[in-house]
Amino acid sequence: MSALPARDSGVQTMVPHWVDAAARERLAAVVRVALDEPALHPVTTIHLQDVLTELHVAAAREAVWPASTARVRLATGWNDDVLPVRLSRDELAAVLRLPGLPGFLRSLLGGRERDA
Amino acid sequence: MTASPLFGIPAPRLLHRFRSAPVDVADLHEVALDLLPRLATPRLRLELVRRPGAGTLLCVEEEERSQRVPLVDLADDMSSAGVPGTPAGIAAALRIWVAHRPVTDDDAAAAGIAVLDWTDVTRTAVGWTVVVARGVVTVPWAPSPAARTAELHRTRSSATGRSHDVPLEMRVEGPLALWSHRTVPVLATAALAAPEVMLHRIAGAGLVVPDIHVVVTPHRPVVCAAPGVARRLAGQASEESVTLPWRDLADLPWI
Repeated sequence: MSALPARDSGVQTMVPHWVDAAARERLAAVVRVALDEPALHPVTTIHLQDVLTELHVAAAREAVWPASTARVRLATGWNDDVLPVRLSRDELAAVLRLPGLPGFLRSLLGGRERDA
Repeated sequence: MTASPLFGIPAPRLLHRFRSAPVDVADLHEVALDLLPRLATPRLRLELVRRPGAGTLLCVEEEERSQRVPLVDLADDMSSAGVPGTPAGIAAALRIWVAHRPVTDDDAAAAGIAVLDWTDVTRTAVGWTVVVARGVVTVPWAPSPAARTAELHRTRSSATGRSHDVPLEMRVEGPLALWSHRTVPVLATAALAAPEVMLHRIAGAGLVVPDIHVVVTPHRPVVCAAPGVARRLAGQASEESVTLPWRDLADLPWI
């Protein structure tokens, strides 16, 4: 058995952003629109594709290991559809640079506290 | 105070446990007198044995397996686990406790299913084991000292074959495929006993994943994804898991 390492050295820290289902859908839509833009820088393309992947991974993580996020939701009073979306600094920067990013998502991902 | 799945009480229900009245041994005795005859079979003997001055024993005997538990200890364990001290609560807990009795060699041979479980308490590696499903309860089989090597191999081989037929649900979540069992979570890893079938279903769902890796946390849904996606999933998870290429599944040891 060759278990993969949990983290590669040099990989950026992933910071969780607690986002509800509607905001995740909106974020995915904005990212997809941006990825259709032919002039997008290749590195930005990779980061945005990783953001899309993370949106799916966050849902999978919740399906497999729901206990810890459930505890957070219980403590905060957040709804069941609020999940941590874990983004690296570069991925977050790529998202925040998107011109079409709605203000509420910019606030949410930019570090302002979300409303419970 | 620790909750126990032996009584069907989930661990995080702290508030519920603090509110529960303790299980009285006399109430347990009364429930057991009513319930045990209904759970017994020609092979499964369930008896209350009175010992003057020493309390009552609950005796469970099935082929080569036997257990004897003082009723007072069982009542204490139920109280600690947060079992409601009502007749219905005690009966439900006792029913689940009996379902957790050890698996006989014959039962394992006739109904065993191969699944993955942790190989030790450190939860760093997984291996194959044989479980028997009793309703929503699954119990791992520990071969008896009398089980011969040939029987052991036959039982494991049959269990692997049965795993192929376990009905599992597959959910595609972007670049990931998640496998789960509707009612018995531990059976999710049965999908990994037939990886080619699993890959075929994944491809049939339109998911093209080169070099599929599986992310396994026993008793939880199984995830299949490309190595990078699997790494992202497991690397940021709050619980232990093992990630490995699907081709390595057949080489995992038996526990």
